[in-house]
Formats: sequence, structure tokens, C-alpha cells
Amino acid sequence: MNLIELLNEAAGRFAHKPALVDASTTISYAGLMDEISALSLDLKKLGFQPGARVGLCYANSIQYVALTFALWKIGAVVVPVPIECMEEDIEEIAKSMELSGVLSQQPRKGSIEVRSDLNFNACVLPNPANNHGLNIAFIRFTSGTTSARKGVVLCHETIRDRVFAANKALQIRSEDIVMWCLPMSHHFLITIVLYLTHGATIVLSRHVVARAFLESINHSHGTVLYAAPFHFSLLARDSSDLSLASVRLAVSTTCSLPEDVARDFRARFHRPLIQGLGIIELGLVSLNTGDPFGRWSSVGRPLPDFRVKILNADDQDCGEVAVQGPGFLDAYAAPWIARAELLRDGWFVTGDIGWIDAEGYLFLVGRKTAVINLAGRKVFPEEIESVLNRHPAVRESRVYGRLHAHLGEVVEAELVLEQGEADIQAVREFCRTHLASFKIPTRFHVVRSLPRTAVTGKIRRPPAMAA
Amino acid sequence: MEAQQIETELLSFVRREIFAPTIELTPETDLVGAGFDSMSLVRVLLFIETTYGLWIPEKEITGETLKNLHALAAAVARLLHEP
Repeated sequence: MNLIELLNEAAGRFAHKPALVDASTTISYAGLMDEISALSLDLKKLGFQPGARVGLCYANSIQYVALTFALWKIGAVVVPVPIECMEEDIEEIAKSMELSGVLSQQPRKGSIEVRSDLNFNACVLPNPANNHGLNIAFIRFTSGTTSARKGVVLCHETIRDRVFAANKALQIRSEDIVMWCLPMSHHFLITIVLYLTHGATIVLSRHVVARAFLESINHSHGTVLYAAPFHFSLLARDSSDLSLASVRLAVSTTCSLPEDVARDFRARFHRPLIQGLGIIELGLVSLNTGDPFGRWSSVGRPLPDFRVKILNADDQDCGEVAVQGPGFLDAYAAPWIARAELLRDGWFVTGDIGWIDAEGYLFLVGRKTAVINLAGRKVFPEEIESVLNRHPAVRESRVYGRLHAHLGEVVEAELVLEQGEADIQAVREFCRTHLASFKIPTRFHVVRSLPRTAVTGKIRRPPAMAA
Repeated sequence: MEAQQIETELLSFVRREIFAPTIELTPETDLVGAGFDSMSLVRVLLFIETTYGLWIPEKEITGETLKNLHALAAAVARLLHEP
């Protein structure tokens, strides 16, 4: 099975319907298939073996979508490389994910031009990547310490199962027009692939301010909004008289929805803003279509194909959220850990902390993971610490998320210095040369020592701290 | 704090952290036209919050405010002086 078959099928039914729209171009399903075919011929010339892992470093665009499906068409594995990555990030992803090469929009050192806006760098692998006999479509790189699990591996069949399971709640149809404003390198499968599988039209929006975005939604007759709380907070405080009359579904994703944003959105547009639980290891587990007004802070009941339970509950019935369902990840890539080894008695323990009410609605109250969520982009503390710790004035560091009323979390760092004082501005400059801009800590705090766990002596990692 | 000083500091920040060094940027450059996106907005809002102690209310984040850095600096200065 190959995911290109899902798109082929949609193109057979909706050939002349717009598949993707951006500021200057509308491409039909038939046109998209033609573009994918042309691209796949160009990509074949690069000599990829079946199952070759290829990095894709490209900005949100129609071309991003076409490239992903073209890579699938030639049997390659797509590994998104966020456009904001620094050169050393790209090299780290290429090395740890065992990429055969990286396709990029901007030329890189030593790249060859495939097309005017597409460049390629081959990577030298000591051995071909071992896909363990799996029909892999996609690997989502996740950073971490050297001992952490890196890379979520998903097969074509797994993604297909997720798409159909998720659509039992999303109910995307060919009449839908989805307004898109999230980075495709972070969101693609239960979104772009799902929408195209069901014949919807995706409108790519680059609007920064609410008024322009609202005008675009109204002009396009958008029916579905899928965005981060930050986007919805901008919309909710718009002072124009523009409505969201065409929108049937507004889903807030990437981090928990602040109460004032949910409340102001309802008051401004007279419709609910709903949340779900989406996890890269599992897909879309739950969506609160059942009681979006009464239980606005819930991520909803589990979707029909999923089961959720709470493990190790405390006296408030709050504990670790565990899930069973289709589309569970096939493996972690580095080190390779197969699916069967990741389950605990058949359940996947998500790292979220939550509770379930009497009617089966799931509420999340925190996370066990230390990943920081800055306005919809995941930031891995260990990656930033590894940069900070390389600065000569820094003995060790701890990076964490600070809760922020408008952005979910922001990145902050504690530094233990080699000597009494350091030029924090110099540390900031050092970060700037090694980290993408949004990963640079907003604040640095100099401390005498870092809190450590009593047993292992590892740096203690709290969930996001209150401001 | 004067708008002129804020403008200078904002220009320095976005040159350093938002835009590629190859992009020529002045206080009058059209930000969105130069590639300013929603993540850029997050970074600038955080810079303003940590530098001036001001979170720009969402209702103030309009096309006029984000037209260019001159307009943004003027908005920050105005909001700082509001009671």
C-alpha cells in the first residue's frame, strides 16, 4: 500500500476540484497529480533506492505537498526538516535519521539544482538505513538526549489507518475548505493527507494579523479552521464586524487552550472552539465535538476506534493517560525500538496526566514530558542545553518551559557558570549562531546549582512552570 | 521611553533574529512583504514583553501596527504611556 493511492483515488473523483490554493495559484486534484508525476521523474534521476530516507526542508507551499507525495510515489521515506533549522540541525537530522539526502528550497553548500526552487545534497552513509522490512512512509524527527528515542517511524498503512480513524470525528468531506496556517513540517498527516484523501480544498494562508485572515476565510468560504491557540487569540480579539459564518469546525491544537481565548472566541463568533488530543505516536485520539460549550477545557471523548484509561491514578482519579487504538507508531528510529516493545500490556502510555469524568470526557492537567510548546512549535530542552553547555562560561544548564498566558509556554534557561559572572549577552549571541531563533531562551537565570533527582542524579525536569 | 529609541532597538532585534542578513531592512520596510510570519510575530511580541514589560494586546495587532517597524515602535511607545 502507498499513500499516493489515496490521493489518486480522490483525484479520480474530484479531478477538476481545487486541491490547494495559495495567494497566486489554484491547483486542481488532476493538476496536483500531474505535478507529482513530473516531480517524481526529476526525483528518480537522483537515484534513490526504495526505502531511502530523504529530508525535506521546504516552506509551506503547494510544492511542499507535491514533493511529499512525489517522494512517496518513488518509494522514498519522507523526513521533514523544519525550514527554520540551522545547518548543524540539518546535519544532526541527516546523521541520526540516516538520510540518503536532503531536498531543500534554498541552495546549501555543495547542493545540486534539481529545479530552480529545489536543491539536493546527497549524504554519505556508512551503511544503507535499515528499515527492518517495514513499508515506511514518514519519520518525524524528535530531538532529545543521546540516550533518548529519536524519530517516530510511520508506515503507509499506519498513516492510512490514522486518517480514516480521525475522520470519524472530523467528518471532512469534499465540500470542506480548510484554512491552513500551521507549518507543514510539523503538521501533515492527520491534516493535509486527511483533507486531500477526502477531496477537500486547502487554502494556504500567510496572514499574520486577524483582520486579513478573517477576510481570507470569508473570501474563501472556509469551513474548517485548524490552528494554534495563539492564532485563535488574535481572531478572538479582532474588533471588526467580520464573522465566521462559513466555518463549521474550529479546532485548537498543539497546546492547551487558555480559558480566556475559548471564552472570547465564543463571545466574538458565537461558535465553539474545540480541542482534541493529537499525539505523533498515535494520531488523533479524541476530539471534543460532544460538549464543546459545557466542557470547553476537555479534549473530548475518545474517537470510536480508540480506548483511553488512566494509570496509577491518585486520590483525585488523576493519573497517566494510556491509549489503545489504530495507527500506533511502528517504531522509534534511533535507537530502533519496534512497536511491540513500546506497549505496556497493550497500552501506550502517552506522558500526559489527566482524568476522565463520569461521561467519558478526558481532561488533561499536565505532562510528564519536558518538551516545551511555544505557540505551536515543539522545543526540546536537551537540544538547547547541549548548545548552552558548549559555551566556555557555562558549566551546565537547564532549559524549561515557563507558562505564558498568550503563547502556551516560553523557553527559559538556568545557567550554572564556570566562574562567578558571565556576559549573558555573549551567551545569547552564541545561541544565535547555533539555534533557530525561536529556540533561544527568552530569559536566562544564573543559579548556583541545578536541582537533581535523588536516585539517579539527573537534572530534575519539571512540567512547565507557572509565571 | 521614546518611539525613536524603541524603533532602533526593534530594528536591531529583527535584523539579528528574524530576517536573513541578506535582507535590507529599514524602519519603513513592509514587514509581511519581507517574509514576517506568525512565528516572527511571536518572537517580536516576546522581545517587547521582556524588554519593555509590555504584552501588546491582541486587539492592537493590526495591519496598521505591523505595517513596518516605525508603526510598531509608535504603538509600543503609545501603549507604554497609557495609564
